[in-house]
Amino acid sequence: MSTEDKTLQEELRVFEQHRQEWLRSNPGEFVVIVGSKVVGFHADYESAFKEGLSTAGLGKNFLLKQVWAEEPVYLIL
Amino acid sequence: MKCRLNPSKLILEGPHIEILISTTRLEFEEGRSIGLEYRELRVRALIDTGASLTVINPQIASTCKLLQTDWNRITTVGGTAGNYPAYAAAISFPGTDLSGFDAMRVVACPIIEQPFFSCLIGRDILRKWYFAYDGPNGEIEIQDR
Repeated sequence: MSTEDKTLQEELRVFEQHRQEWLRSNPGEFVVIVGSKVVGFHADYESAFKEGLSTAGLGKNFLLKQVWAEEPVYLIL
Repeated sequence: MKCRLNPSKLILEGPHIEILISTTRLEFEEGRSIGLEYRELRVRALIDTGASLTVINPQIASTCKLLQTDWNRITTVGGTAGNYPAYAAAISFPGTDLSGFDAMRVVACPIIEQPFFSCLIGRDILRKWYFAYDGPNGEIEIQDR
């Protein structure tokens, strides 16, 4: 991410603040965060997206992130 | 679906499929109902068993007005790592009987800024498919599972 690009920074800060707690309560689930508000947890991406969109509204970014202990590094070969 | 190229073409081009990519179905329908315009792009996608997830050319994200939902860390074959924006998108496979995805994550990464493919279909989609690569006959076969 570029240093100027602040997209989803507030939501990521909230995520990091709660990561350890959510690892115990909701491991592997998708959390939806809009601004500083934690909207909910879902077992799959699609239903999490639906809730995020209905809360944030059309065209507004929101964080939709799976709860893992460490950030996965994805390999593209 | 079965796709027959020929053995040499399959070596040169790799296994690929046409896809339609746009904002998620939900956004598309909600947006249309209030007069917003969204573009649906038809692009060629390489089926890449070496890709953990599905990757798009960044230009697609802006053209289709995809909504960003995360940042993901990507490492490529040369060892280059970086954080790239992840978006929600709908993907379907025109002209086939394969099921589409109404809302799935795609990552916009410039590693595929080349003329042949605008998308890499990764193992996140492959986990839903049976995929056979028949090198001697120059054929690929994909089925929903």
